[in-house]
Amino acid sequence: MPDLGELVRAAAGAAEADEAVEAYAQESRQTEASALRGEVEGLEFAESRGVGVRLIRDGRLGYAYAADPSVEEVKVAVARARENAALTEPDEFNLLPSAEPITAIPALFREDSAEVATGDKVQMALDLERRLVTSDPRVTKVDLAQVGDAVSRVAIASTAGVDAEYARTDAWVVAVTLAVEGDETQTGFSYRIARALDELGPESIADEAIERAVRMLGATKPATAKVPVVLDQFAAEEFLGVLASALNAENVLKGRSLFADMVGGEVGSELFTLVDDGTILDGPGAAPFDGEGVPSGRTELFTAGTLNGFLHDTYTAARMGGGQRSTGNAKRGSYKGSPGVGTSNFYLDNGSTSFDELLRQAEGGVLIADVSGVHSGANPISGEFSVGATGLRIEGGALGEPLREMTIASTLPQMLAGITGLGDDLRFFSSVGTPSVLIGEMTLAGV
Amino acid sequence: MLDRGLVEEVLAVARTRGGAFAEVFVEETTSTSIRLDDGKVEELTTGLDRGAGVRVTQGTSYGYAFSNRLDRDALLQAADAASAALRAGEPGAVLDLRTLEGPLTNAVDRAADSVPAADKVAWLRELDVAARAVSPEVVQVVGVYGDSLQRRLIATSDGRWVEEDRPRIRIVSQVVAKRGDTIQTGFHGPAACAGVEFIDGHTPQATARTAAERAVTMLDSVPAPAGEMTVVLAPGMGGVLFHEAVGHPLEADAIDKEASVYRGLIGTKCASDLINGVDDATIANGWGSFTFDDEGTPAQRTVLFTDGVLQGFLYDRLRAEKDGVESTGNGRRQSYASPPVVRMTNTNILNGTSTPQQILADTPSGVYVTALGGGQVNPATGDFVFGVSEGYMIENGEATTPVRGANLIGRAIEVMSAVDAVADDFGTWEGVCGKDGQNAPVGSGSPTLRISKITVGGTSA
Repeated sequence: MPDLGELVRAAAGAAEADEAVEAYAQESRQTEASALRGEVEGLEFAESRGVGVRLIRDGRLGYAYAADPSVEEVKVAVARARENAALTEPDEFNLLPSAEPITAIPALFREDSAEVATGDKVQMALDLERRLVTSDPRVTKVDLAQVGDAVSRVAIASTAGVDAEYARTDAWVVAVTLAVEGDETQTGFSYRIARALDELGPESIADEAIERAVRMLGATKPATAKVPVVLDQFAAEEFLGVLASALNAENVLKGRSLFADMVGGEVGSELFTLVDDGTILDGPGAAPFDGEGVPSGRTELFTAGTLNGFLHDTYTAARMGGGQRSTGNAKRGSYKGSPGVGTSNFYLDNGSTSFDELLRQAEGGVLIADVSGVHSGANPISGEFSVGATGLRIEGGALGEPLREMTIASTLPQMLAGITGLGDDLRFFSSVGTPSVLIGEMTLAGV
Repeated sequence: MLDRGLVEEVLAVARTRGGAFAEVFVEETTSTSIRLDDGKVEELTTGLDRGAGVRVTQGTSYGYAFSNRLDRDALLQAADAASAALRAGEPGAVLDLRTLEGPLTNAVDRAADSVPAADKVAWLRELDVAARAVSPEVVQVVGVYGDSLQRRLIATSDGRWVEEDRPRIRIVSQVVAKRGDTIQTGFHGPAACAGVEFIDGHTPQATARTAAERAVTMLDSVPAPAGEMTVVLAPGMGGVLFHEAVGHPLEADAIDKEASVYRGLIGTKCASDLINGVDDATIANGWGSFTFDDEGTPAQRTVLFTDGVLQGFLYDRLRAEKDGVESTGNGRRQSYASPPVVRMTNTNILNGTSTPQQILADTPSGVYVTALGGGQVNPATGDFVFGVSEGYMIENGEATTPVRGANLIGRAIEVMSAVDAVADDFGTWEGVCGKDGQNAPVGSGSPTLRISKITVGGTSA
């Protein structure tokens, strides 16, 4: 089997004169084990490999990919990309980045984690499930108890001189519990993504999934009102995804972001500092370079409420002009698609207020512990959103009765300007991180 | 795609540690995707994807392994890995593989690969022009055209040999309209398992106009009200709600995990008398249609509700065997990279006897929902939420001012029991459903229907 570097260099070498060619190769080996009723529910092994070729000729862009190709098949993909490019329209900003020095992040690859035996992963899943169903009499069933890990390698080479590779390990644990009392069922969810299996701490994830289900038992539907709201980290994380879309320079350039004309403006409260940083290891979004070989970097998108700028790849930076450079935010879902702007580790900077103090400041309000329908109920173009929510009433500075079947609605600018407190509890779930957030007032619809 | 002798050998290796049955799924998919954005055809991607997955099961436990490579070594290695999930047992038998045939569900008149890519590019240019012609307030248009052909082979240790080609086609229009500081969006994306003849009936121009008119209309919208009210759902939209809120909790894996509000309710009334619902993979060229599911079970039409009484659940092989019933042909997978999961195909609420005009005229006040943006359900609690992408106030029996920022939230059984009118104007909506990390095309359908009381979330308290 040819190695990834050989494949991508073969693609770049197949370029004709006046063509820019870039090839991106990815291979991964993934194991995922889940447990149910004390037995293995599923054990999945996935090994995949593929190469995607981006070709630019006369400003026209074509793309083609192939799963597990030979060197010859990669050359065929280059030819297909060439045919495809002939049918698209020229765009002067279709450019490949030139090579820049890349700082390796050796800590991304934990060799010992890559060598953990399958049986040990299965045992982790079984142990997780046992803890989930034996810790609280109201939780005797799980919806999901899963442990997984992956070892992956990426290689990229281009006619612009890029030639880089890296390897990484990732591991994850997911727990979804069912708490039952009488006729009522509530679910609780938690997960963590880490560099290696021994960094997962499945016990604390299990305990959190149990607690989040049990405390919702007896939930009722509240009356419609405007109240102070604390978004816990799970709920706040959902909204960061919508912000990421609105801060994507491609959406800005194409008239699809509400932030387009707001650079330099005070959009959020002074507590609001939002960062993208692909160089820190706190979140799984770290990598030495992005999807087109540009070194990862740190971008402060908002500083104390003021919008500084957007996330860029090479295309959007060139098109924005004014000396804008790529922020190292070209992302690829897989080798099957060309890169587009995306986040690396995207987080709301930590605050200084304890969670308990946030609750005191939100007296009479609601802790939102889960939001649903954000992908359909929030509009990154208009900034409006209305999403489903569950949570707990805040009474006497503490969490009170559980609430369900309610919705919260506002606009992103109103919500960001309305932040009146920020927890000191920044937490990365996936590549998105946030502390708890207090918002002075939001519409909460129920009965 | 693969030699029968090799497939038999792979199945035999998969059976070396026992288990109830083993299965091989082989796929080769070619695809074309073209994207127009900002007035330009900015990208054309073609791809070739292939691989094979091997599954070994015991009860509802399974092992699964796949490979991108289709050579003997890679396949035998996958078979060995999949069987390793089982505790060591006696080798199991592999029956003679018999070819199963079924009626062709997704007939193709003109195959996508018979049309030059340049023609497909031209369709997107037509889409762009048509969307911008709707109004000067249309400021941005994205057009996406995609087609694919998935060639599948499924072979099982109990003797199934199924080959099926599945064609897919979709044209999507996404439009942004702007007036002053107000920005609104419109979406329309018809799809089918068919050839390019599908485009004759769903022209780029018509798709563009629907999306553009939606975006421009919403420029006049006011913030949606919040609270409990009557909601009328336009054709297709009741199907989207039915899929999400009712269909998912009826999938047998949710039932098996006791994570469904419908567990134990077969034969009982848990929806309005007016609700007759089915899951039907046999609809010709439907977005969720096929001749065989991804476990090689023939497609079927499964009755879910008759006059509001729950009739049954949706099954794959594993859960069917556990419950001692037949699979309903609902084992589906995104690709060779994933094992099958229980999931819907085309999920429909059938026609009633009212007319949409009557239903609106009989509604003094409420919200008329003409497009939903997607939704989410917790099958264990039945709690669901949907974003409304196009809706109108209902005042004195007429749809009036458009509203924005609304969503619908409720609990499955309560809301389906609150349906008090069903019309006779059945329509469909094509979507992509996500479950267990896998996406699959699904159809949803319904006539106009009315929910007497449901919570609407909006910003205007």
